[in-house]
Amino acid sequence: MKYAFFPGCSLESTARDFQMSTLAVAQALGIELQEIPDWSCCGSSPAHSTDALLAASLPARNLAAARRLEKDVVVCCAACYSRLAAANKALADDENLRIEVSKVIGEMYGGTVRVRHFLQVLREDLGIAEIRKLVTRSLGGLRVACYYGCLLTRPRELSIVSDPEDPQLMEELLAAAGATPVEWPFKTECCGASFSITRTDTVKRLSGEILKMAKESGADCVVVACPLCQNNLDLRQADIAAAIGKEIGLPVFYFTQLLGRALGLSDEALGIGKLMTSPEKVLAR
Amino acid sequence: MSKATLHSIDSAFLLEMDPDGRLNLASCLQCGRCSSGCTMRLETDILPHQLNRMVALGLTEQMLSSKAIWACVSCHTCVSRCPMKVDTPTLIDRLRQKAKAAPKEMDRVRIFNEAFLASVRRFGRVWEFGLMAAYKTRARDFFSDLGKLPAMLRKGKLSLLPPPKGARKAVATIFNRTIGKRRAAK
Ligand code: SF4
Ligand code: SF4
Repeated sequence: MKYAFFPGCSLESTARDFQMSTLAVAQALGIELQEIPDWSCCGSSPAHSTDALLAASLPARNLAAARRLEKDVVVCCAACYSRLAAANKALADDENLRIEVSKVIGEMYGGTVRVRHFLQVLREDLGIAEIRKLVTRSLGGLRVACYYGCLLTRPRELSIVSDPEDPQLMEELLAAAGATPVEWPFKTECCGASFSITRTDTVKRLSGEILKMAKESGADCVVVACPLCQNNLDLRQADIAAAIGKEIGLPVFYFTQLLGRALGLSDEALGIGKLMTSPEKVLAR
Repeated sequence: MSKATLHSIDSAFLLEMDPDGRLNLASCLQCGRCSSGCTMRLETDILPHQLNRMVALGLTEQMLSSKAIWACVSCHTCVSRCPMKVDTPTLIDRLRQKAKAAPKEMDRVRIFNEAFLASVRRFGRVWEFGLMAAYKTRARDFFSDLGKLPAMLRKGKLSLLPPPKGARKAVATIFNRTIGKRRAAK
């Protein structure tokens, strides 16, 4: 199984552990991820808030480069997935946009490459049953609150899950790895996303609600597939706990980190030490 | 909010915001589902269903100077629950693109967006460490989160070095051909 891999800026910096664990898991599962040569930023929210043509052209350049690799594009960052998939669909649907973008990026690209999130590849191409067979170290009933946030579930046309109000994709995957997913109502609430830097109080309020609910639902930890969510829930957790005057103590893993553990990979290879909220206690059980 | 009278209704703005009808702005039923689930409902000045009525009435200036268009976090909850598939987040994007300034308490969002794009324009990718420095200088927000810096550097979550050069030229060309010199000055 071979794919064109788009890491995105976060996976090279604040989400380096997501990148490490993704590459380690892919290798363990026999999935080949070929990095798109000289990939560039997807533009994220600032681009679509500023100019529609810029917001389509930045992803289009990367997708046109991926087309030359003749493979599906795989993305891990939920924000990059959302921008690449949105631009891809807009380019397929809108001839005028296609022409305008071709003048900007210097080649015609018609939205023909398939853009997929790594979770989709794991379920659809490899299959949950196959993954279960490869588990060598069960997660031992670890209670996980799978948290999807916005960008993987909405809008509907770009959603990687069949039910955007109650997704089950990460639950199925982690159950196969031996975890016990908890049912909880805030799986697809918004954490405040890109306001992390600019409107910190908003992010603390929204992320705080999510962490409190995960805790009340009996989770030992939270599992995410998005660098923005991970940052808001993990990096800001100490501040949130101080503000509400209660201990939270919920490690926030990338799904690839827990899956990697179940596949017998080392914590070092999975970047477990990069988490801010220490996972030691929950992993020791 | 000023009153709209029948003769002052201006549909030109609706057509400008949704020229080919893809956003379904003209189909809004005013049912309010969008607003009841809006992530920012507690912090905004104009709720999504109100924006959708205002755009139909042509209340352009009120929308462009609102807090709402900058408070929106693009979570897409509104459109995914809307019975008529009214694409409020894209309407808000178009309003933000058109707005020349943001209200004072929201200006940080605009400043961050500019600093982010300046980083991409220069390096082809975001250089987060440089972005944080540029943002903090421009927003005059020097001290928040400084305590997190050592741990982030230690854990390799921020790099003191900018990203590799590979994509810089191609990305600079994309910026020159789209937003050009606009917004680059600040
Ligand atoms: S949910 Fe849709 S139809 Fe209902 S008020 Fe909002 S935009 Fe209008
Ligand atoms: S996309 Fe914006 S307007 Fe719509 S629900 Fe989210 S925050 Fe509210």
